[in-house]
Amino acid sequence: MSKEYQMRAAINQKLIEMGERERLKELLRAKLVECGWKDQLKAHCKDVIREKGLEHVTVEDLVTEVTPKGRALVPDSVKKELLQRIRAFLVQHAAV
Amino acid sequence: MKMEEKPLSGPDNTRLEALMQDIYSELVEDACLGLCFEVHRAVKQGYFFLDETDQDSIKEFEIVDQPGVDIFGQVFNQWKNKECECPNCKRLIAASRFAPHLEKCLGMGRNSSRIANRRLASNNNISKSESDQEDNDDLNDNDWSYGAEKKCEDQKLQNQNSPRRSKSLKHKNGNFCLSQQYNYNAGISYESLAPNEVRSLLTTQCGVISEHTKKMCTRSHRCPQHTDDQRRAIRLFLLGPSVPTLPDVDGDGFDVPDSQAVLSRLQWEDSPDISPADSASSKASGNHSDSRRPKKKKKPAVAAVALSMSGGGGGVNLMGVSGAVSQSTISLSTKKKKPKAAAAAAPSVSSIFNELN
Repeated sequence: MSKEYQMRAAINQKLIEMGERERLKELLRAKLVECGWKDQLKAHCKDVIREKGLEHVTVEDLVTEVTPKGRALVPDSVKKELLQRIRAFLVQHAAV
Repeated sequence: MKMEEKPLSGPDNTRLEALMQDIYSELVEDACLGLCFEVHRAVKQGYFFLDETDQDSIKEFEIVDQPGVDIFGQVFNQWKNKECECPNCKRLIAASRFAPHLEKCLGMGRNSSRIANRRLASNNNISKSESDQEDNDDLNDNDWSYGAEKKCEDQKLQNQNSPRRSKSLKHKNGNFCLSQQYNYNAGISYESLAPNEVRSLLTTQCGVISEHTKKMCTRSHRCPQHTDDQRRAIRLFLLGPSVPTLPDVDGDGFDVPDSQAVLSRLQWEDSPDISPADSASSKASGNHSDSRRPKKKKKPAVAAVALSMSGGGGGVNLMGVSGAVSQSTISLSTKKKKPKAAAAAAPSVSSIFNELN
């Protein structure tokens, strides 16, 4: 539905305008580094690279290999906290 | 842009949830992409595998995760039981006690010179004073007699300021040395000293005469055994009813009193209400701390001091501040722990002094 689409676009815009999106991004990055997610994923990258050969690795290769695993490896606590913050923002700033 | 009025809560919670999930997954994907770009750049620039170049050193410095051992593989108190030979006295000393032992053995460092000076001072006093032998149970003060001091000197191998020291003294001597944490000093008998010596002594030392041993306390001006009022009273008593710093002393500066009553009055008398004039004059005379204790036993005679000192006080107009200061010191010293109260009062009061002067 286009209304839905419009609404989503509006919310996204508000997220960006208020700087909340940047804040959420930084928060997520920090938490992932803290919990070791980044190191885990980097080790996985090393395996992929060794497999594919150092010279011929492309960005697409890495993305297709890494992203699903990355999504799965996010710890529950981080996920919960982020969802909580997003919800708080939506409740406060989107039409309730 | 106008916001849609569609509510996000209530039965439409699923929409809110879906929106949340979407935003969340966008954020996670951003993070993953960021990592991919970083890794790809590292690969292409050639620094991705830099930390793996030396396999041997990696094995050598691997993190150790065993019980009883830290992450470097070292045992915690491996050197605790070892003994070291002192190059000076050739004795075997435990490793943890080695540094303090060296400090005393070689005669360098802060504590050793202090101890040496004290020993010299006490040795001089012993040769001067007559009444050496005292009752051994009469040791409530820090003013020692010769006999008890000699016994305690043998314990000086231990740390001077540790509480352990007093405990061992209790057992070994059988004397009632109070659980104090300070050194024991010999006292000086003021009878054997000339007025000049008395004056010079009083400028450096506490000087309060102990009732038990009739000797002057040789500790510093901030010694927690005695109050400033006692010190003032002693100076008044020994040097005459004028400011002790003046060279000319008239009157009974040095007559040895024959009545015990005078001595006891100086030390143990109840004082009248202390007026602000007293504390103002006490500042003028330059004492460090003005800690008073509300115990009725030990208030010294301040009235006589006040009358004499105000003449030489120079009219310092510090009443308001001094009132506040004295109140704060009283509040500090209401607890029964004497040494700590004096010590705590002294820095705060002296800092105020510095500001005022």
